This record gives sequence, structure tokens and C-alpha cells, in this order.
Amino acid sequence: METIKKYLLLSAVALAFVSCSDSDDNPAANNVTLEFNNTFKNTTIVLGDAASASATTNTSVAGQVHHFSEVKYVISNIRLIKDDGTEVPYNVNDLDKGATVIDQAKAESLSYVLSNVPSATYKQIKFGLGIKTEQNTLDQVRFPKFYAAAGANDTAMMWEWGTGYRFTKVEGFYDTDNKAMSIHTGSTVEGTEGAYTQGVNAYRDITLNLTTNAVVGSKAPKIKIKADFDKLLSGATNTITLSTGTGMSDNATPNVHTAAQMVKFVDNLGGNGSSDITGMFSVTSVEN
Amino acid sequence: MKKIAGFIFIALLFISCNNDSEMISYDNPELSLNIPADFPELNTYVSLNKPTKYGVELGEKLFTEKRFSADNTISCSSCHIQANAFADHNPQAIGIEGRVGLRNAPSLQNLMFLKFFNWDGSKLQLETQPLVPIITHEEMDSSILEVIEKIKDDASYKDLFKKTFGDEEITPDRIYKSIAQFEYTLISANSKYDKVKRKEGPSFTESEAAGYATFQQKCASCHGTELFTDQSFRNIGFPLNTNTNEAGRGRVTGIAADFMSFRVPTLRNIEYTAPYGSFGQFATLKSVLDYFDSGVLKAENLDPIFKNNGNRIPLTEQEKENLIAFMKTLSDQQFIGN
Repeated sequence: METIKKYLLLSAVALAFVSCSDSDDNPAANNVTLEFNNTFKNTTIVLGDAASASATTNTSVAGQVHHFSEVKYVISNIRLIKDDGTEVPYNVNDLDKGATVIDQAKAESLSYVLSNVPSATYKQIKFGLGIKTEQNTLDQVRFPKFYAAAGANDTAMMWEWGTGYRFTKVEGFYDTDNKAMSIHTGSTVEGTEGAYTQGVNAYRDITLNLTTNAVVGSKAPKIKIKADFDKLLSGATNTITLSTGTGMSDNATPNVHTAAQMVKFVDNLGGNGSSDITGMFSVTSVEN
Repeated sequence: MKKIAGFIFIALLFISCNNDSEMISYDNPELSLNIPADFPELNTYVSLNKPTKYGVELGEKLFTEKRFSADNTISCSSCHIQANAFADHNPQAIGIEGRVGLRNAPSLQNLMFLKFFNWDGSKLQLETQPLVPIITHEEMDSSILEVIEKIKDDASYKDLFKKTFGDEEITPDRIYKSIAQFEYTLISANSKYDKVKRKEGPSFTESEAAGYATFQQKCASCHGTELFTDQSFRNIGFPLNTNTNEAGRGRVTGIAADFMSFRVPTLRNIEYTAPYGSFGQFATLKSVLDYFDSGVLKAENLDPIFKNNGNRIPLTEQEKENLIAFMKTLSDQQFIGN
């Protein structure tokens, strides 16, 4: 009897220690920070107006020099993939908790902290550029936080006429005479399944391999993601020459919404979903 | 045991009776609408939101509610005026603070029978439309929660929401549904044309009859059916809206052939809806017909009817006069509230 008591006591003490060490050194979950670096090739973009001397310029494959005054895009539907292949979704059905607007003009928006990510070793990250059609309804009641963030006057990531969000918004200037360029993308899908549907789905699912595994546990890793806007005009899918005007093929202003033109930019930035599933994105490093 | 089972059974009966009587106490019958003969079939979404007595009453009240706009100056009915067949007289719609919108406010009539809404057909279900003007910067520039916040303590709304939906709660969906219900009741089918067709007494004048003949020959391939639109989208070479946001139906579908294509507008009540065109390019019906006659703008995707006929619809002055006389027989005095 005495021996049994001793064993019991011992195991109780042991258990206590195990749980202690769990919470102290190897927590069940921790943060993961996604740090976005918006670049032209390897140079971080500096924004500027038409006459800016400090703005970062880039030259497209077609030979058009350009620079930006505004760069914004929406990231949603984030999933981390464990080394065993298990997918861990991060608030994928909640735009308030799982989606964000990356805005080059707001430094704090470039780091997006995923909180309470289960402790594990992760080898891959997936996310959406834009918002899936079923969530892209400007539902202010369901997602008040994201609605407010996207709709703020200095964000302007809403597409009122389509009652959806803008997925990317790039404003800038091109050619030596600094003509305005204004590239907005977003989905125009309408209709319910089984019935007539119309429109273009501008959401793109991105899959990126991590350079080294991100180990979530006692430490909160940081994943550095490069978004290379050189791809906007010189992408894997399309080589685009900008032109200004009101014709069907003119593409430098928001009539890129003639979504035939818009899709070319979407495929360059977010991939075409088949041969290109990274678009302009790549992981440059993981800090564990 | 048997007793207990019996008791539960009886209790259940009472509960269900109770529920039933509660449902019945909000007597909100479906409206029986007079669906005109020979009109196209209903938009399939109508069956999900059939107009009811109080739903329509609530919808009409919301339709004229100026608190929908950020500064409480504009309601739906500011641009959709009954005397103008629920359109207005501005080339482009004017929102709060005099902001000018992209396009001409379309008339609202026979919406139940339309498969597409807006000039570019961007909406397929009428219930999804009201949010667009509410949030658009050039229109009401508000948000649905801002609207609800402004009207939620209004006793007359509480009463109508309760009568319509069973309780006082004001939700975005309920707002959209009741506005659509009201709009579904805007049926125009009592013009002289309709009365002639139904053989109710009136007959066409010589000029109207000649105009009808020309219409059937030169216009009806687009302005077809009893709605006087075949609901197709076409580029007919009208003067272009150079606003960079304009691409016609192309901005919705992403199909190159839809670039600068617009929905064929109905000709019903056309007398009351000047100016004409997607951004009010034409002040009068005569100027539209003159334009067709003298030739429209070239375009790669110009409608074949124009492309195959030298980019024009040739019309004599007499034909134009008769066509206008015929189009005026599509005016529905009762519909515009006279």
C-alpha cells in the first residue's frame, strides 16, 4: 500500500513537472509574424508622386519606366502547412481576424501577426491575394472590422458598384512623361451556383515553400515575404505594355476593369492558378 | 408512464398551437399582383421574396428615406422620381453635395421581369442592388449600419418591421428585401399601346400606326418583347463616356466583345425619361433618331445590326416623326401617378 502511495505521489509530481515545462518552454501555440516587403526586383519600393526624385523606379520588359504613389493589396485565407502535410487554417472564415490590407504607405500594415498558431514545424504557407467570392460581399454586419479598415478614406479598398472589395490598388506613373497609371483589381462574380453566373474571379490562391521550416513553439517565428511588383508588367504569364486612352485595349487606368485587361494584371500578381501559383510572392527568409 | 407520455403529447400540442396563433397574428398577406399577359417570365429570384402587404409599404417608406444618405439629403426617390417613370431629368445622377455619378439614373419599371439590373447588368438579383447607391461616394456615401443606426429608434419603422417580418429587428437583409418588394410592384402595362393591344377601345392614330410599322421593321430586333427591350447588351456606337471607370458591360464580364456595351433600355414611358443614353448623351428622342440616321461611332465590337448597315439606321424625317408618336403611346399615365 505504502509503495503504491509512493508511486502515485511520484507520478503526480512528475505530471506536474511535465505540465510546467509544457507551459514554460514549449507552449501549445505562439505567434507567427508575416513580414511583407514590397519591391521592384530586390529593391524595396519607395513611393512618390509624379515629380518625385526619391521614388523607386523600375523598367518593364517592354521598356516602360514606372514608379508608384500607392500600393495596397488584400491578404486573406491564410493557411500554414505542417511538415507532415497537415493544413492549419488561420481564421479563414473570418475576415475580421484573418484578413488584412497591406499598404506600402503604412509601415505597421507590413507586418501581420498571426496569433495562437499551434506549436508545430511548418514547411509551407498558403494565402489568398484578394478575397474568395463567397466572402466578397461587403457584409458590414458580419465583418465590421475588416469593412471599416478596407473602406477607410485613406484605404479605399472597396468597389462600390460591384459590392465587393478591391483586391489590389496600384497608383503610379509611367513613361518618361509620367502618365498616370491606375491598376485596380477585384472580382465581379455574380449569381448563385446552379443558376446563371457572370463575371471574373480575381481571387488568387498563393502557395509558397518556406526557405527553412518555421518552428512554432517556444519561439514565435517571422516569415519574410517579398512581393515583387516588377511582376505587375513583366510577369510569368503576361508581358504588358501600358497605354492610355479609352479604347478596348487601353489598360493604364481603371478601365482595366474591362476585366479582360484586368485579368492580365491579376495573373501576373497572383499567378494563373495552374503553372504559376506564386505570382509576385516569394519567401526570402524565416527567422525562428 | 403512459400518463406522462400523454401529458407531454398534450403539452406539445399546446406549444404548437401557440406558435401557430403567433404566426397568424401578424397578418401580412402576399400581394396578388396583376401580371400582364405576354410579359416575359419572372426573374427567378422573385420567388424568394414575394411582395407582401407590409413589405411593400415598408419598402416604399425606405425608398423615400433621406437618412439613407450620409448628410440626410438624398433618398432613392431623389433620382427615381415617379413622374419620370422613376428616372430623373439629369444626364448623370446627382448624389450628395452635388456629386455627379458615372451614369444616367435608369427608370424603374417592370423589374420583376428583368434578368439584369443596371446599365451594365452588374446585378442579377434586385435584393443585392440597394447597397450600391448607399455606399457609392457619388450617390449616398453612407453604409448600411449607419443607415440602421439612424432609423432604428423610429417607432413607425419598428411597427412596419414587426408587421412585415414578425419582430422589430432591422437588419440589412430586411431592408434590401422590402425595397425590392416595393420595386417589384412597379409594373407599367396600362399605356395606350397596351389598351390598343388588349382591344379596350382606343386605337392608334395614322401617325402612331405608321410609327409602329417602322418600329417593327427597324427597332424591334433590340427593343423586343412586351418590355420593349430584349435585355441584351450591345455597343451601338453612342458617344463615349470618357470617365476612366466606364467600360460598359466589359467591366463586369471581362469579355472583350462587351466593351462599352450597355443594356438595351426599355422604351416604355420613354417620353418621361429624357435625357437618353447611358450618361444622358441625348436631350430628346428626336436627337437619338437623328444620330441613328446620320451614323454612329465605329467600334470593333459594334453591334452587327449597325456594322452590316453602314453604321446607321436610315430614317426619313416622316419616319422619325411617326416613331416618336408611336413611342408616346408607351406612356402610362397611371404609372407615373396622373
